[in-house]
Amino acid sequence: MPEFHPGDWVESAVDWLQKHLGWLFDFINTVLSGLFDAINAVLGGAEPLLLAGIFAVIAFWLRGLLAGVVAFVGFALIDTFGLWSEAMSTLSLVLAAAVITIVIAVPAGIWASRSKTVSAFVRPVLDVMQTMPAFVYLIPGVMFFSVGTTPGLLATIIFAMPPGVRMTELGIRQVDSELVEAAEAFGTQPKHTLTRVQLPLALPTIMAGINQVIMLALSMVVIAGMAGAPGLGERVYAAVTQVQVGLGVESGVAVVILAMYLDRMTGALNARVSPLGRRAAAKASAMMGRMRFARYKPGTAVALCGVVVLALVAGGMNIAGSGDEGKASAGTNVGKGQQLNMGYIPWDEGIATSYLWKEVLERRGFKPNLKQLDAGPLYTSLAQGQTDFQTDGWLPTTHKQYWDKYGSKMEKLGSWYGPTSLELTVPKYVKGIKSLEDLKGQGKKFKGKIIGIESSAGEMKILKDKVLKDYGLEGEYKVVASSTSSMLAELKRSIQKKEPVVVTLWSPHWAYNAYDLTKLDDPKGSFGKGENLYNVARKGFAEDQPTVAHWLKNFHLKEEQLTSLENKIQDAPKGEEQKAAADWLDEHKGFIDKMAPVPGGKKKQGKDAGKAVNVGYFPWDEAIATTYLWQNILEDRGYKPNVKQLDPGPLYTSLAQGQMDFQTDGWLPTTHEQYWKKYKDRLTDVGPWYGPTSLELSVPEYVKGIDSLEDLKGKSDKFDGKITGIESSAGEMKVLKKVLKDYGLDKEYKVVSSSTSSMLSAIDRSVKQKKPILTTTWSPHWVYSKYPMKKLDDPKGSWGKGDKIHVTAKKDFKKDFPELYGWLKDFHMSEDDLGSLEAAIQNGGKGKEKESARKWLDSRPGLIDKLAPVS
Amino acid sequence: MSRLRAEHLYKVFGRRPDQAVGRLEAGADREELRAQGTTAAVIDASFEVEEGQIFVVMGLSGSGKSTLLRMLNGLLEPTSGRVLFDGQDVTALKPRELREVRATKISMVFQHFALFPHRSVLENAAYGLEVQGIPREERDKRATEALELAGLKGWEKSWPDELSGGMQQRVGLARALATDADLLLMDESFSALDPLIRRDMQDQLLELQKTLKKTIVFITHDLNEAMRLGDRIAVMKDGRIVQNGTAEDILVRPATDYVASFIQDVDRSRVLTAGAIMEDTKTDAAALGKDGDEASTITAETPLHELFTPFSSSDDAMIVTDDSGAPVGVIDRERLLAALGEEPQVDENAAANAASDGGAETADGAKNSGVTARA
Repeated sequence: MPEFHPGDWVESAVDWLQKHLGWLFDFINTVLSGLFDAINAVLGGAEPLLLAGIFAVIAFWLRGLLAGVVAFVGFALIDTFGLWSEAMSTLSLVLAAAVITIVIAVPAGIWASRSKTVSAFVRPVLDVMQTMPAFVYLIPGVMFFSVGTTPGLLATIIFAMPPGVRMTELGIRQVDSELVEAAEAFGTQPKHTLTRVQLPLALPTIMAGINQVIMLALSMVVIAGMAGAPGLGERVYAAVTQVQVGLGVESGVAVVILAMYLDRMTGALNARVSPLGRRAAAKASAMMGRMRFARYKPGTAVALCGVVVLALVAGGMNIAGSGDEGKASAGTNVGKGQQLNMGYIPWDEGIATSYLWKEVLERRGFKPNLKQLDAGPLYTSLAQGQTDFQTDGWLPTTHKQYWDKYGSKMEKLGSWYGPTSLELTVPKYVKGIKSLEDLKGQGKKFKGKIIGIESSAGEMKILKDKVLKDYGLEGEYKVVASSTSSMLAELKRSIQKKEPVVVTLWSPHWAYNAYDLTKLDDPKGSFGKGENLYNVARKGFAEDQPTVAHWLKNFHLKEEQLTSLENKIQDAPKGEEQKAAADWLDEHKGFIDKMAPVPGGKKKQGKDAGKAVNVGYFPWDEAIATTYLWQNILEDRGYKPNVKQLDPGPLYTSLAQGQMDFQTDGWLPTTHEQYWKKYKDRLTDVGPWYGPTSLELSVPEYVKGIDSLEDLKGKSDKFDGKITGIESSAGEMKVLKKVLKDYGLDKEYKVVSSSTSSMLSAIDRSVKQKKPILTTTWSPHWVYSKYPMKKLDDPKGSWGKGDKIHVTAKKDFKKDFPELYGWLKDFHMSEDDLGSLEAAIQNGGKGKEKESARKWLDSRPGLIDKLAPVS
Repeated sequence: MSRLRAEHLYKVFGRRPDQAVGRLEAGADREELRAQGTTAAVIDASFEVEEGQIFVVMGLSGSGKSTLLRMLNGLLEPTSGRVLFDGQDVTALKPRELREVRATKISMVFQHFALFPHRSVLENAAYGLEVQGIPREERDKRATEALELAGLKGWEKSWPDELSGGMQQRVGLARALATDADLLLMDESFSALDPLIRRDMQDQLLELQKTLKKTIVFITHDLNEAMRLGDRIAVMKDGRIVQNGTAEDILVRPATDYVASFIQDVDRSRVLTAGAIMEDTKTDAAALGKDGDEASTITAETPLHELFTPFSSSDDAMIVTDDSGAPVGVIDRERLLAALGEEPQVDENAAANAASDGGAETADGAKNSGVTARA
């Protein structure tokens, strides 16, 4: 039988198309991704709960109260999973795909219903679209359109199209021919026969088709995640490939919520849009009688009002929100919208510095929440981790009780002011009194009164118990306890009347900036040593927010700076504290850069700063680790890295196509041999950064007597004659065949190919049940640290020399990114470094890879300059 | 001048219809064609309908009557032949002109009502006017009037699925009447209704026809209905018109065995009139009228079943008079019983008539075939 491979033609056709029809694909790309971006901008931009409200109103309109409530709960649940933006991306994908599909499918269905020729032509095309495995066109889609939204959208459209066309055709053909004849008998034009009779009557069927379109689109969108389409699909895919069961379930549930919502809504839409549906609904509700209110649905106008109001609120919040974000320009956006919870005690220096930090953090792209609390609750919430930090910790004396109680659950982030002092103070015009000693015998001048503050304040206690005694002022002076504000009012009144007055005060205080005052010396040191003002953070804050912690540690204010800031805030109207702080910052030019230097700094930008770099990776741990490391480095250097997870095949393809710029995890020469062979003319080998690696078969340590491949002979019973392999496409699986032959095991053992995640789950299961298992693994891999697995020796060297891990890049990489090429060429990592980076990322948890890599990088000062030196 | 005239209509479905027509004209049999996969639905049908007449086409299913009807308003294009409506050849019109004619001059009432389920009763009745582009206010007014005519006043806002079958067909009728078309095509319009309601509808149609004087082509498979409604009846079999005449012609002078077997079950006493069975002896009648004071008179229009009572009590013959009261014949008891008991005899003359219908080339021939008038 001669062999025949039309597939070869297809490949050359694909090449040809790429060369000659690039403009067309670019155009399609622009249209599709433009549509997606537009929808996503609307859905993704809004406040989650408000949008959930809009969805709920729509559900209320279409299906009644219960559906509205359930919809709201469902969407709120997605938000609590932290999957909101992914879900909205998915929804946008579905909607974009559905819009395009319907725009094509309905006219196509109408055409097919009116012409037998068209129908006969369309049917097999639809069969192909429906049954051709999606991967077959998903991957070429990547070749034409690069990874991302477009190939996913395109695959979705192809997959979702058939029911749309079929149901439209069926719906129109199903319309009673006598009705069509009646229309014709009254002289209706063909187009009106369509619009007045056929389409309205076919609408229920067409709507069922549209429902199917949307459901298929949703199911396909998950698969499209493999081609890098954003959203839940990407999450599900990542979760499955990295054995993140929990995340997988959460993403899956989110998909289900979306699916049910879309299904029920499009199903119910029929009752609203089609005349027949309205008729049926009216009849049903006429039958309902008593329970009618439960089925109450608001009228279209009412529902529309609800949606518009919510949309306006959402839009308004969006504008307000974007105003905040506008403070941080791209270069200084350190926080990237991360939330920080700050607390403050309403003491002047606390207010002043808290608002100062709030302003600074906002300018650095954080989203700080500022909450006023009393000292007790503030320290409690710090200890419980609800508040991230506060700036007004008086230590060691004033806040001693709190520190004693919660000290182990908090951390000091440096003192920013000090020492403070407690003192008695008189206006400058009161002559002859410079020291506490001078007060003696002058009681009459001050009417025997010292104007104090709150009786509970520590200063009052010291004053009464110690200071007066030490200086022999007891009896002569009476301490009048009132409140800080009364004390200040009394001070002000006296100064206006030029009356002598002695008050309890402390430094720093804005009063010293506002009035001419004399602090009375304390030669006996009775007030005790001054305190320092500390930034106090919850435990673990420095680890979570190294940059902010670093800023806080290096924060210092001079008395003059603090009192002028306090004064500025004091003068500002209530509620405009932050504006006052902002004004103060603007007056002190350059202060913010000292206070919160942007990591990396502007001068350290790379030569190609601003250029977008597309980095791809597949979910192998060292790839994840290094990719996110380089993402951080590149961002610091001003590049704009886009990171995408892909399977090796599509990744190499897109590198060869020049759509991806580089990837860090090229196992050469063996594991990725097949890709390298195929594309090497269109790729650049930037060089190895780690190696050698090794491939091996491994068994759990409790399987005794098997330490080498040679030991496997005749032991197949133990393992049921099975070797649990990984993806059949993996290079290791190919080499394994040779290995088995070399050791004469090929008859005895059967290699079961599955997937890496299945293999890992199999290990997990076997180890838990203490059962023998024989698996294909490789080093480096975390499986060796997590499970007691031992590598089997390979005395004959059949596995070949270990691979080295190379950075591989597109062909023109060196030309396009000369600086980055240089950095990557010199990139090396020791096993320890790689191990600690992988561990940091593993511990950081799913979805925080980038932050974990950032922390790891920040904890190694100078590393970035070594990895990415700039002159 | 007749309102509607069909000339040698053929409709053949399947491959090469033109050739098939040639073969049919050359005398080929319908079965012969069917063996080759072509179906001759209507073969050489010619007839005329006068203004204000109800012309009934009667036949069993598959006889081609519905196909014939659809050629009259161009829903089906004849394979051969012409349809003249007011002297205008409907088959030669361009699609746009044809739609215009359908919208304004010819309306249709369907067997299964063919109401649009997504439109209210009023919207259904106004459909034809909507197609014509008549402004809403006027079309609602005219549709309301049409509904009133059809006996559906007050149901305008209902929906078709809320109405009984009879009422639905009234909507269908109102829809057809609303356009003020002169020609009404009714395709088994009452066949789907219960017998009692069907009778109501027939009465109402006759009642309406008295004032509206439409030209109506009515398709039915029910001979009693045909006899009740039809001013003239064409009987179709296997695509051909086998007899074309008045109810009495068909009953008294069936043209073929087929027609004869068809009319066997008809209640002759309700169809036949005194005029049809009387002894046509004006002199006898006049004589009878002179010497017998007792002799009662009846008009020629009187159906036979109304004679049973008088004859049961008297042996005397009765005098049949025309509209003016002049005696035209006599009937005695024997004659009445003979007429009722009589097996219809195939009338060669009538068959010749039908045949001449088919073959007539000239207007004269056609006119001959349509020997008019009862009496």
